[in-house]
Amino acid sequence: MNLKTEVLIIGGGATGAGIARDLSLRGIPSLLIEKGDFLSGASGRNHGLFHSGGRYVVSDPEAARECIAENRILRKIAPHCIEETDGLFVSLPEDGLDFRNRFIQACEEAALPARLLSREEALSLELGLNPDLLSAVKIPDGAIDPFELVLANAKDAEAHGATSLLHTEVISLLVDGDRVKTVLAKDLLHGEEYLIEASYLINATGAWADQLLKLAGLRIAMALSKGSMLITNQRLSHRVVNRCRPPSDGDIVVPNHTVSILGTTSVRLEDAENFEVTPQEVFLLIKETSKMLPAIEETRFIRAYAGIRPLFQSGEKGDDRVISRGFVLIDHEKRDGIRNLITITGGKLVTYRLMAEKTSDLLCRKMGIDVSCTTHLNPLPGAEKPSGLKDRLKTLGKVETLCDCELVRRKEVEEVLREGKLKNLQDILHRTRLAKGTCQGGFCVYRLLGMLNELGLTEGNSNKILKGFLEERWKGIRPVLWGTSVKEEELIETIYKGILNITSAECRMRNAE
Amino acid sequence: MHYDLIVIGMGLSGLMAAKTAAEAGRKVLIIGKGMGCLTLFSNTIDVLGKIPETTRLRDGLSQWIQDHPEHPYSRVGLTGIEQALSSFTSLFKPPYSFQTIGDENCFLPTGAGTMRPTYLIPDTMVAGASSKKKKGLIVGFKGFRDFYAGYVAGPLNWRGVTLPIFDTPGQEISATALSRWMENESFRETIGREIIKYLSGETCVGFPAILGVNDPIKVKRDLEEKIGVEVFEIPALSPSIPGMRIFNRFKEWLIRKGVTFLLGHSVAKVSIKDKRCEGVYVFNPPVSNFYSADRFILATGRFIGGGLMADRERISESIFNLPVSQPGSQEEWFGKSFFDEHPIHRSGILTDSSLRPIAETGEPILENVRVAGTILSGHHSTDEKSREGIEIATGYWATKRAVAK
Repeated sequence: MNLKTEVLIIGGGATGAGIARDLSLRGIPSLLIEKGDFLSGASGRNHGLFHSGGRYVVSDPEAARECIAENRILRKIAPHCIEETDGLFVSLPEDGLDFRNRFIQACEEAALPARLLSREEALSLELGLNPDLLSAVKIPDGAIDPFELVLANAKDAEAHGATSLLHTEVISLLVDGDRVKTVLAKDLLHGEEYLIEASYLINATGAWADQLLKLAGLRIAMALSKGSMLITNQRLSHRVVNRCRPPSDGDIVVPNHTVSILGTTSVRLEDAENFEVTPQEVFLLIKETSKMLPAIEETRFIRAYAGIRPLFQSGEKGDDRVISRGFVLIDHEKRDGIRNLITITGGKLVTYRLMAEKTSDLLCRKMGIDVSCTTHLNPLPGAEKPSGLKDRLKTLGKVETLCDCELVRRKEVEEVLREGKLKNLQDILHRTRLAKGTCQGGFCVYRLLGMLNELGLTEGNSNKILKGFLEERWKGIRPVLWGTSVKEEELIETIYKGILNITSAECRMRNAE
Repeated sequence: MHYDLIVIGMGLSGLMAAKTAAEAGRKVLIIGKGMGCLTLFSNTIDVLGKIPETTRLRDGLSQWIQDHPEHPYSRVGLTGIEQALSSFTSLFKPPYSFQTIGDENCFLPTGAGTMRPTYLIPDTMVAGASSKKKKGLIVGFKGFRDFYAGYVAGPLNWRGVTLPIFDTPGQEISATALSRWMENESFRETIGREIIKYLSGETCVGFPAILGVNDPIKVKRDLEEKIGVEVFEIPALSPSIPGMRIFNRFKEWLIRKGVTFLLGHSVAKVSIKDKRCEGVYVFNPPVSNFYSADRFILATGRFIGGGLMADRERISESIFNLPVSQPGSQEEWFGKSFFDEHPIHRSGILTDSSLRPIAETGEPILENVRVAGTILSGHHSTDEKSREGIEIATGYWATKRAVAK
C-alpha cells in the first residue's frame, strides 16, 4: 500500500508520541510508525521516577535545570500521570557528608527546593529507612506512569489529526540525492508492506537510532547501556528514596502505584534486542538498596526487567547540535547533507516534551513556517479526572474484576478494546494495569483470553497466545524466584501445565471429527 | 495425649496415611494447616499421564519404575501402587465412585480446550472422556471467571454458551457458590430451561466441575432429565470442587473410624531424642499442646503446602529440618523456558526404600518418621501428571511400612 504524509515519525516511545502531539497541535500532519506497541523501548522500561532534577543537580546542572522546568510543566498538563510523593536523598555513614553539602548547594543554585532533615525527622517521615542514616535531604521528586503519559500523548495527537501504524517496522530508506525519498515498512503481524512518501522524517527510535540511520547509509556513535530494575510486591516507602552520593548502582527506590521499583545498574551492551537481568545484577540491587531500606532483604519481588539507555557519544563530529548532555538533536542536513531527516535521541522520560518541542521547532524552521509550541499549555487527555485507587476499591465486589491484584475491571478492558486498533495481547496489557500486580498475570491473562473468546475477538489459537505470554512473563519472574514467590510459581505452573495441560509441544487438540 | 501414629499434613497423602493406619487399628492423630492441594488441583486422580497414549497403565508404570529408580513410585513398587489405588477407590462407593477407562489413561477436556490425560475419574466426568466422538455444548456462567465456555468449546469444534445468572450484570460468582446453587432444584430448573433453548443437535452438555459438593450424581441425573441429554463435568481452575468432595469423604470416614482430626493447626516444634521423634507441639495461641506418638508420617507437601521453603540460597524442610536434595544455586533452580522441567521440582526429601528420611550418605536420620507425598524428591509430578498417584501410593506405603513392625 502507498502512503503519503507530511512528516513521518519513526518510533513510538515518549519522544515519538510527544512529537506527534506537538506537531498535531501546530497543525502539521504526521504519521507515526513503531515496530512494536507504544512504549516498547526505554519509555516503558524505566523506574518511573518523576525527576525533580535532584539526581543530576551535582553532576549535570544543565540537565537538572531542564528537569526542573519540565517537572513544573508536567504537573500542570499531566497531573493524572504523576504522583507527587516527594523524595529523600539519604546519607549513610559510609557516604560521609561531603556530597550532601555539595548537593544542597547545587540545589540552591538551581533553585530546586531542598530541605535538610535530621536523622530523627527523616525516620519519622519514612519508618522503613535504615536507622543508622546521618541525614536526608527532601526534594520534590515523584512517581510517573509512563504508560498513561505516552498513551495520552498519542491519543491527543490522534484527536488532532495525527495517525499511527503500530507493529510496523521500517525495512529500508530510499535516499535520492539530498533527500530520503521513500520508506519501505512492513506490518510485522500481518506482513502487509507500505511504501511511504514523506516530506520530512524524524528518527525518534531511541536505542535504535543508529540502526535506522544505517538504512540511509549514515552513522551516529551510540553506546547502549542496560539498566536493570526489580519490582517489589508492595510499596516500601511513601517517598522516592535516593542515596546521597554520586550516581551509582542500586541507589534509588521509587514507589509506583502499588509497588516499589528498585534501580538501577549500568551495563554496556552491543545488542538492543537480546538482553536479560543477570543474577549478579539482582544481587547487587538488593545489596545496595537494602542499605537504605533494610526490609528489602526480606521483601518479595515480583519481577525483574531491564531497559536500554541510548547514550549518544558526543564530540564525534564538530557539527552535531548537542542541545544538552541530556538529549541530542541532529539536523542531518547540516551534518550529512540529507535535507529532510532529523534524529532526536538520548534524554529522559521527564524531558520528553521539551525534546518534542525542540524537534518540532527545528522541523518548522526547515519547513519555513512559524508556529509555536503549545504542548506546555494544553493539558493532556485524562488530566481532568485523576483516576484513583479509591474509585476502584469502591466498585470492588459490585462489578466483575479481571485482575484481582490491580483491581482491573472487565469493563475497563472492554473499553480499551472498543477504542480499537489493538493487535495483540501485549497491546491490551500496555493499556491497562492487568498483569502488573503480584501474580504478574498468572490468573488474569487466562480470564482475559476467556473474555476475548466470549466476545469473539480472538484470532487463531488462544493457547499459543497464552504460551507466548507465559514465556514473556517468565523472563521477568525467573530472576527473582525465591521465598513466597516460589509458592505462587508452583501454583501457576500447576494451573497451566497441570490443570489446563498447556505444554511446550503444540497443544493436543482432539477435534470432534 | 499419646497416639500410635501422628500424620502431619492433611492433603491427599496425609489422608491416605491416616486411612491406612486407621484400617490397621491404630490410634491416629492427623494435623493439618489446611486441606492441602486437594482442593486446589485434584479434580481427578492422575497416576502417570506421561506414558504413550494407548499403553496400559500397569505396563507404563512398570517401565517407569525400571527407568527411574529414584522416583517415589520405585520406592513403593508396582504392587504397592496398585494396592494403594484400590484402597483409595474403596472409599468411594457408588453413586460417586472413581473409575478407569479400559485400564489406560483417558483424556478429559480442560478449561483451555486442550485434552488432558488422567487415570481415575469420578462418574460425573466419564461422559467427557469420550467426547471426541460426540457433538457437545459447553455451558459457562456469566461472572464465573474461572471457566469460559467459548475457550473450551473452540478447539473441540463444539459450541459454547454463557448463561447469565444475575439480573444485574457484572457480578462475580465463585465455584463454591455455583456448586451450592446447583444443589438447589429450582436453580437447576431455571438453567435447564435456558440450556434447552440453546441445544441444537448436541448429544451431551459439559459444565465446569461445579455440580454440587454433596451429591453431584443426583445433580447430574436431574439435569440430564431436565435437558434430555447426557451431562458431564469438566475440571476447572482452583478451587477444585471435586477435590473438596474427596476431602469431605475422607474426613467423614476418618472421624467415623475414630481418627482425631486437627484441621487448621500447624506443628510449631518437634521433640527429637536419639534419632527418634517423641512428639510435636501444636501452637494454638495462647496455648501450646504436646502430642506424642510412636510413629510419625510427614506429609506436608511442597512449597504451597509449606513442607518446603526456599530462601535465596537454599531449600529447606520446615518441620524436622530434614536434608533436602538441592538443585544447585538459585539461578539453576529454574530453566530458561517456563515450559522446561525445572530442576527445583525434583528436589525434596531423600528416603530409603521404606520412605524413612536419610542423609546424603544414605544413613537414616529419624527412625520413627516416614515421609509421604510430593515433598519426596525424584519426581516432576506436574509434568509427569502423577501428583495424586504419588500422594496416594506413598501415603499408603509409608504407613504400611510404619505400622508393619
